[in-house]
Amino acid sequence: MNEMHIIVLIKEVPDMNKVKFDAERGVIDRSSAPGEINPFDLNALETALQIKEKLGGKITVISMGPPQAERSLRDALARGADRAILLTDKRMAGADTLATSYTLASAVKKVGNFDLIICGEKTVDGDTGQVGPEVAELLKIPHVSYVSEIREVSRDRLIVVSELGDAYLIELKLPGLITVTKDINEPRLPTFKDKMRARKAVIDKWTAEDLSDVADINKFGFSGSPTMVVKVIIPQERVKSCQIFKGENAVKDLVDIFEKKGVLK
Amino acid sequence: MNENIINELKKIVGEDWVVTKKEVLQGYLLDETAEPVRPKPTEDVVVVKPKSAQEIAEILKLANREKIPVFTRGGGTGLVGGCIPTQSSIVISMERMDKIEVDKENLMAVAEAGVTLGTLIEKAEEAGLFFPAHPGDEGAHIGGLVACNAGGARAVKTGVMRNYVVGLEVVTPTGEILNIGGKLIKNNTSKLLHLFIGTEGILGIITKAIIRLSPQYKATATMVVPFKDRHTAVKTAPKILQSGIIPLGLEYVEKELIETSAKHLGMEWPCKEGNAFLIVILAEFDEETVYSELEKISEICTKNGSLEPLLAETSEEQNKILKIRSEIYIALKPNTIDILDIVVPISKVGEFMDEMDRLAKKYDTYIPAYGHIGDGNLHPHVMRKEGWTMEQYKELKKEIYNAAKKLGGTLTGEHGIGAIRLENLRAFLSDEEIELMRKIKKIFDPNNILNPGRVIL
Repeated sequence: MNEMHIIVLIKEVPDMNKVKFDAERGVIDRSSAPGEINPFDLNALETALQIKEKLGGKITVISMGPPQAERSLRDALARGADRAILLTDKRMAGADTLATSYTLASAVKKVGNFDLIICGEKTVDGDTGQVGPEVAELLKIPHVSYVSEIREVSRDRLIVVSELGDAYLIELKLPGLITVTKDINEPRLPTFKDKMRARKAVIDKWTAEDLSDVADINKFGFSGSPTMVVKVIIPQERVKSCQIFKGENAVKDLVDIFEKKGVLK
Repeated sequence: MNENIINELKKIVGEDWVVTKKEVLQGYLLDETAEPVRPKPTEDVVVVKPKSAQEIAEILKLANREKIPVFTRGGGTGLVGGCIPTQSSIVISMERMDKIEVDKENLMAVAEAGVTLGTLIEKAEEAGLFFPAHPGDEGAHIGGLVACNAGGARAVKTGVMRNYVVGLEVVTPTGEILNIGGKLIKNNTSKLLHLFIGTEGILGIITKAIIRLSPQYKATATMVVPFKDRHTAVKTAPKILQSGIIPLGLEYVEKELIETSAKHLGMEWPCKEGNAFLIVILAEFDEETVYSELEKISEICTKNGSLEPLLAETSEEQNKILKIRSEIYIALKPNTIDILDIVVPISKVGEFMDEMDRLAKKYDTYIPAYGHIGDGNLHPHVMRKEGWTMEQYKELKKEIYNAAKKLGGTLTGEHGIGAIRLENLRAFLSDEEIELMRKIKKIFDPNNILNPGRVIL
């Protein structure tokens, strides 16, 4: 019997509790916080691990990012992934969601023979939720987003609950792709022993050139991105104030203010 | 409360900041003390919310003149009834004194007493600095934390509140404003600083504190080490400390407790194996140091019979473990008669835990025990038992205290004496020491107006 092959797409993101924003330049200062696996991707990996425990098989994690993203891939290996591939090349830099999806889909093609791709519903730094579905469209496979529960899983189909405002029960034929929410599971912690093992594990590193047999490398990175981030605007903290109205004129004063603000007419 | 006094208070702090309405007062009468041992508050109080040390000085002068008791209230997170007004009094709520400044150059924060621990942590991090301790609930006020010399889960490496405070602004019970210490690391001139830290507000009202901060640690990790039983876990903890590694925190928890706490939070405890756990929190300035410490700890633990240690590195996963650990008391609270705050020498923790097992058997009850094993500070709970009277609970408590005392331990490590530990204080302090404390109190507070009935009788 063929084994189930699950691919998990992960992204290294800055620790959002610590990262600083440069309000003047309108950019995130990525050096201000250590990188870690996007929290939603940990749920994706945990989903894969639970399916693997049930049906057997192997898990490949793929990430696109700078060389230091290797750290997150090692974390994924420690948590139970079998193979890790880092797509890293200056030509992949500056990618929007389409170029990112194209690059990841190309890597999936090159890996080949997969049954299921799992992604987190979104990343905490980009927050778009687009990459998963775009990868599926590029690979021409069915996909379901915002999966909060897997009701049934077999070698050729999944029955899942998708939280698209309301809950939908959906059957997905494999090969296919799902993106999962944080509600789907509680990601396990790696053992220290596995962490140490993963620190020494080999990470496959693929450049743009390595993907040239399955992709048009001009569609990678900035050159393949029809959209670009012009500026990040950091909302200023609103200063709240409090005023107490008392005495005979209190009601009248309040009505005046409400009228001025357009709340009352 | 006399109408004239209320009017005088209104003159001092402004009409809007004096509370006399019964329904509003309710929020100022209690703290987090377990209900069965909690002192009964009186509703005959007036709550005032001053904005400055000058206003507090005026209030205390008035209270002194009229001999009205005063209770100071911070975040209301105390566990020994320290701020509960038990007699007709003025309650001073510090909530409006919430200004904080971080001095990046000197690595210090100047915080008014009403700044919460959560705000201190946040402001330090915004400035690229770090407050290494985690002395309890993040809603606790700085004034209360200093007054009670709070400790918490991250006191092993860098100490308790006392170790961070280098300066204080204090209003004495007679209404003088003292500025003690400063932004100085060494200061052998001012001798009074530490008299106000940990004396639970009986000598003065702390209105401002200068607190040392640290540069941010670049690498942190939390290791959860499972053990088959309590005994094996507890005897391993001192070996970690003896190896030369000083973790930020070293905690001990048990399966049933930690799973109850996780469930109460709607979370899941990440460790499926084991019945007893050590939680080791490490913080260093580079990842390599953290990993070499982790390797050493893992080796010590496995050699002493642990199961496979787990590692949390992402901040979300680390915070989750700390959160589940921190909420044990809240999860157990409905069935808790009292949460004790024993400290024993770190080498005696194992023997103390064995004593807890023996007492649980003797009284046919359950004594959950967990805590800051890295500094010997444990929190055994006296739990509700069908048909027991208050006297029976007191008897068990007394036996727990005796066990601690025999091992060289003491009554409280971080919660303080407050109102509810007074009945057991004499077992730990000599008459001479208590008498000296009384005399000191008398010098500062001749009319015994400030937090009467707390700390000393």
